[in-house]
Amino acid sequence: MGIFMILFTLLGGITLSAQSSINGTLSRKAGTIETTFLTFITGSMFLAIFILFFGQGNVLGILEAPKWQLSAAFLGTMYLLLTVMAVPKIGVIATNIAGIIGQLVIGMLIDHFGWFGSLVISFDLKRSFALLFMVIALYFIYKGNKRSSKESCA
Amino acid sequence: MRYFAYILALLAGSALSFEGAIYAELGKTIGQLETSFYNFFMGSIIMGLLWLFFGKGKLSYAVEAPKWSILGGVLGVVYLTSIVISVPFVGVGITMVAVIIGQLVMSMVIEHYGWLGSKKTRINKEKIFAVISMIMALILIN
Repeated sequence: MGIFMILFTLLGGITLSAQSSINGTLSRKAGTIETTFLTFITGSMFLAIFILFFGQGNVLGILEAPKWQLSAAFLGTMYLLLTVMAVPKIGVIATNIAGIIGQLVIGMLIDHFGWFGSLVISFDLKRSFALLFMVIALYFIYKGNKRSSKESCA
Repeated sequence: MRYFAYILALLAGSALSFEGAIYAELGKTIGQLETSFYNFFMGSIIMGLLWLFFGKGKLSYAVEAPKWSILGGVLGVVYLTSIVISVPFVGVGITMVAVIIGQLVMSMVIEHYGWLGSKKTRINKEKIFAVISMIMALILIN
């Protein structure tokens, strides 16, 4: 069961990178804001059907939830909009690597300070090495991208 | 201009982390699928407003575009659902590592072959090093 679940999650990652390339392609003709808008609309439609059949929570609980928790929707929107903007300029892999690094760095920060009621995991030596590797990754992807764009021009 | 796009992508990822931490709290009270729905629903409203005021593109292109190119929303839902389902079985750590590895390897394949309308750029040594460094970082964090 465990292995099956891991494969299933790999599929989740695959769909996410497929999403960023598809959206990048659509945005060239339809526009950035329009593409993000469409993604959200179709996503809500599918989730609405999903919830009707499988939802076990309480959608109306949104009305009583603390407002700061609801503000996360602006962050979700920002993520998608910025991704759609970046893909046509630097490509899928660079956008994803930079995005993941931003995510991990802030994730470590949240862990360290235990913000938003998360478990406190302090920033240690292992995590500083992890940070170093991320900087190396960012450097390589920048260099690798520069080289392939040079090759495609030549 | 290229630098700027990298900064945008970094910012996008940071937004995602804050979002994830906050939604984890919201998910406890209203349910996880419901939280995703809230996210997409509010996102539609926010983007709808942005589009009304600042949209310069062509929304109607969605009707004539090849059907595969408007699948972005569904794929986002598949992604969210796969995470929601697997976290209780294997934990957040392994889930995130598997998602990210899937994402990185697939991005490389997509670009290498120029699938899904992306610009075709060949895999090179530097890109493979970048992915290996990311995997090292992931192992160290967990």
